[in-house]
Amino acid sequence: MSERALPGGGLSTGMPSAPLARLFGWLALRGTLATGLAITTAILFIGFVAPFLYPVDPFAIHPDHALEAPSLMFPLGTDELGRDELALMLSGGFATLIVALPSAVLSFVVGVAYGLASGLGPAWLDRVLMRLLDAILALPSLIILIFFASLVTLDNTSLILLLGLIAWPSLARLVRNETIAQRGRDFVLASEQLGATRFYIARVHLIRVMAPVLVVNGTFLVGDSVFAISGLSFLGLGVQPPQVSWGSMLESALDIVALDPWWLILPPGLLIFGSLLAASLTGQGLLARYGGGR
Amino acid sequence: MSAVLQIYNLSVSLPRGRAGNVAILDELNLTVAAGEMLALVGESGSGKTIAALSVMRLLPPGAEVTGQINLAGRDLTTLDERAMRRVRGRDVGMVFQNPLAALNPSRTVASQISEAYRVHQGGSARAARARALELLGEVGIPDPAKRLDDYPHQFSGGMRQRVMIAMSLACSPKLLIADEPTTGLDPLIARQIMALIARLRREHEMGVLFVTHDLSVVEEHADAIHVLYAGRSVEWGRAVDFFAHPRHPYSEALLGSVARVGQQRLQNIPGNLPEPESRPPGCRFAPRCAYRQPDCEAAYPPPLGRAGTRAACLYPLPLTDRISYAQEAEKPPASNFTPQLEVKDLMVRYTSAAGLFRPASTLPPALSDIALSLGRGECLGIVGESGSGKSTLGRAVLQMIPYQGHILLDGEDFAALRGKPKRQQRKRIQVVFQDPRESLNPRIKIGDIIAEPLRLAGISGRAELKRRVDALLGRVGLNPEMAARLPSGVSGGQAQRIAIARALAAEPELIVLDEPTSSLDVSTQAMLLNLLKDLALEAGLSYILISHDFAVVSYMADRIAVLNAGRIVEMNHTGRLIAAPQHNYTAALIGAAPQLRTYSR
Amino acid sequence: MIRMIATRLASSTLTIFILVTLVFFMAHLTPGGPAYSILGMKATATSVQQLNARLGLDEPLLKQYAIWWWHLFQGKLGYSYLLSRPVGSLLWQYEINTLVFYTVSIVLSTILSILLGLVQGVYFGSWPAKLIGGLQLAGYALPGFFVAAMLVLWFSVELHWLPASGITNLREVHPGIGSYAAHLVLPVVTVTILTVSGLSRYFGEAVHEELGKDYVRTARAKGVSFTTILFGHVLRNALRPLVTILGLSFPYIFTGGVIVESVFNYPGLGWLMWRSALSQDYPILIAIVLIIGVLTILGNLLADIVNGLLDPRASYE
Repeated sequence: MSERALPGGGLSTGMPSAPLARLFGWLALRGTLATGLAITTAILFIGFVAPFLYPVDPFAIHPDHALEAPSLMFPLGTDELGRDELALMLSGGFATLIVALPSAVLSFVVGVAYGLASGLGPAWLDRVLMRLLDAILALPSLIILIFFASLVTLDNTSLILLLGLIAWPSLARLVRNETIAQRGRDFVLASEQLGATRFYIARVHLIRVMAPVLVVNGTFLVGDSVFAISGLSFLGLGVQPPQVSWGSMLESALDIVALDPWWLILPPGLLIFGSLLAASLTGQGLLARYGGGR
Repeated sequence: MSAVLQIYNLSVSLPRGRAGNVAILDELNLTVAAGEMLALVGESGSGKTIAALSVMRLLPPGAEVTGQINLAGRDLTTLDERAMRRVRGRDVGMVFQNPLAALNPSRTVASQISEAYRVHQGGSARAARARALELLGEVGIPDPAKRLDDYPHQFSGGMRQRVMIAMSLACSPKLLIADEPTTGLDPLIARQIMALIARLRREHEMGVLFVTHDLSVVEEHADAIHVLYAGRSVEWGRAVDFFAHPRHPYSEALLGSVARVGQQRLQNIPGNLPEPESRPPGCRFAPRCAYRQPDCEAAYPPPLGRAGTRAACLYPLPLTDRISYAQEAEKPPASNFTPQLEVKDLMVRYTSAAGLFRPASTLPPALSDIALSLGRGECLGIVGESGSGKSTLGRAVLQMIPYQGHILLDGEDFAALRGKPKRQQRKRIQVVFQDPRESLNPRIKIGDIIAEPLRLAGISGRAELKRRVDALLGRVGLNPEMAARLPSGVSGGQAQRIAIARALAAEPELIVLDEPTSSLDVSTQAMLLNLLKDLALEAGLSYILISHDFAVVSYMADRIAVLNAGRIVEMNHTGRLIAAPQHNYTAALIGAAPQLRTYSR
Repeated sequence: MIRMIATRLASSTLTIFILVTLVFFMAHLTPGGPAYSILGMKATATSVQQLNARLGLDEPLLKQYAIWWWHLFQGKLGYSYLLSRPVGSLLWQYEINTLVFYTVSIVLSTILSILLGLVQGVYFGSWPAKLIGGLQLAGYALPGFFVAAMLVLWFSVELHWLPASGITNLREVHPGIGSYAAHLVLPVVTVTILTVSGLSRYFGEAVHEELGKDYVRTARAKGVSFTTILFGHVLRNALRPLVTILGLSFPYIFTGGVIVESVFNYPGLGWLMWRSALSQDYPILIAIVLIIGVLTILGNLLADIVNGLLDPRASYE
């Protein structure tokens, strides 16, 4: 159950459910994956390719054009300092993704490793690791993030490390539960009887059976990372000025909301929404397409 | 005798994917008389469950139904949903398979039985509760007053089924439909349930429509039999006539494939049941029939037969023919042999670690004082009901669970081995599990599944592996092209054969078969058991066959050990055990299994 | 039954113990040690040294750990030098605001989720169910601050119906209930939208799953009407996971949501945490982290116990 959907707007724990795929079974299966991948491509394009295609300097100030609605000169309008909103959006996209993607990878690796160690190792190790995990999971991730963000200097590296080391616990628990569940299945027992070592079984059997779960959670993790860095930036504890990110752009827009700056609110918000949507759809689409037979 | 249920030309088609509706059942005609049990027999896919659900009008949405269903004179197909709801439960009761799932886990037994009563009879909660109490007593639940407020999970499997039956009787219906009520129950319990249903039908003058795939279950109590194959009726009539002289080749084959105590050879029905979309015109059994003639496939045969049962066959079996079975000479017990496998003083204890407020578990041991031996090429059968410890014994021999005591293979004690030598030794004993689908990794191709033991043994090279895998597939009677498929693309029987092929690839000396046929259809079971017998002779394999089905074990095993509550109650050569069981429990188990009767000798 | 509660309680206590220890170490991670964080901007080398001595921070770590527990038992959660108030009383003040806010939100969310979930589960596959499913997906992916921003844009700025921030109308000397209520609307709506997306999907799935189970078929075979099946059989099984989730959400009533509170400048616990992080007021931060952690563990315990009470099967483990 996603924490994100619970009161508090906290960090999503990224726990999908196979039943979710059933519920969306009515979406043409190909449609879900295709849509998800399409949006993902678009977002990646906006974040990594477009900034080089649109040569406007995002930090250039045009005081006489401050707070203008979209026009030919400024396709998405300008902010209160007269900066080109479109350029800001692209720059912010890059800043957001450059932190979100690596941290998602980091979380994934740590989470899977922890979960596998707990699930495949001796029973005492499992007990210790899980007990520790329970304590860690008691603290909502956003809270921990805020706490640690207040401690360290916030540059890209520290942000990546911070986010990467926060999101892994629920993935670890999921992986551990899955490992334990699959470990006792008949085909694993048969393999043991054939003389396979534990590593062989993990490599050949377990990974393959757990692949759908891992992939889906991996995609969700990416979405959560985007959300996390945006949320932190929104609170002023993420990407620091002068660099902008989608989250910080929303925050600045909200500061002057009385001036009805809809063109400053929509782009970053929709892009974050788009990232999360892309992650959800891609994950579900992959599960529906390739997850059959577990 | 008045007819309680009369079905005229019932045809049902169901939506199947994008193809629209597919005919599942074609022109079924049957009659159930008051006080009589009609057994509707067929394998999975024959349409028997659909027939039962049609009477209750509980078909899935999109179903098309034509024909007439008369219950005590009233045509149920003409009723609207509201009227039908009044019929369900009041005039017709239904008992389903798997009572644990069929009862609401969150409501007490009393409330669920009372509901069945109050929905139709109204009245006070008190009156309904009294009725529930009465019913529990009638179905033989001991201490019913105390158990009224228990929840379904607090009852054992057999007791739960009795509760289901009690619920279905709440309004004293004229007809009881039972859909495989004994599947999954231990043979002794199953027998009790059958006896209960038989008694109730007599006492209440109730008609019973008993749906099953297993003829042996209804042998004792059915008054009438109706056999379905691929959606059409193939034979029907009085049970006495049917069991004495089956007329249709399919019926003969079905009777022949049921393992019976003392039987020597099982009859195998080649081929598979046709899918509903691809049913042949003409006689649907013809492609698999040993007696088929060219005109059998032209058009569906009209029922023939004047005396005895009626069969839809152009060439029904003559009345004077008897089913004959190839007799195999019973293997003489070896006078002295060095045992291949020896088990001494085996004890298995499942402990749960001490919790904070709970001492370490004091459950009785799963197995105690087990001692047995197995000779080379021998088949040892382990028989027992659920909870007897038979599976545990299998797992101990396979070294899958910790145990106390000694298990020796060719004189070498497993307890003395560790690491690599232990793994090598373990390879010599292989396993076939009960659920063929679970024992194959659903995401690995069949060719690779069978190749796994070969790879683990160090054999490499695509060409060599392919050659061996194809050879193994051939040995179990499968097509080499199957190697490219995934487990989801094969049937249960084929999957089990793949599991056997994989076991063989490790070149074992002993195979532990843990309920290898329990989740398969009767005819598939026959095929598999015959295959196993042939393989044993060919490769000199020994088997430990674990099953709750006495007949299956007696068919395969040279010696049998009977297990009860973790101990060996009796162990003897098969023939001697069956002829003269020393222990009451053994005798009861033998009695509960399908027996060899005069008609099949 | 009692034994189960006792076991879970003992287990939770152990987890709390580990948590508190973890937080202790987190507290000592603050740069320059707790003394520096307490003095904050007023710190100089000597003042830090003096404070260290006074607070016993130069004692061995183990002794400090023991003192930490001693303080906790006394209810002393630290002292915020920046706001010159003991943390305890400070927290309580903001706590009440969050309590009100989230209790309303959760109650509203639960009611809506049950209604939507019922429709979705019962009419699975029909267009209303698909519509609900689509909305759930959208709600799931919408970030809280974006939703809040849009709501503020529409209802405050464009329509001038509702206030954009704060808890009461600052111009009123003695604000009435109406003022409080008006300020609650947008935050509650935001949180409700976010919560209902997930909760109703969960419940809808549960209903749909239960409807496919065998006991429903048995009930139909008895002649029971669909409405009775739904409310007499399915609901009690489908509500159980919902209750578990609610139990797990229970801590949120106390801890609030940082982001939503920050958007609306609603002075609750989450908002306090945010401002404390920005101004590096570590005593408050530590205290909040600790409280949230303990409450979450207790929330899990509550959910476990309630589930055990509701599920007849659970008490027989």
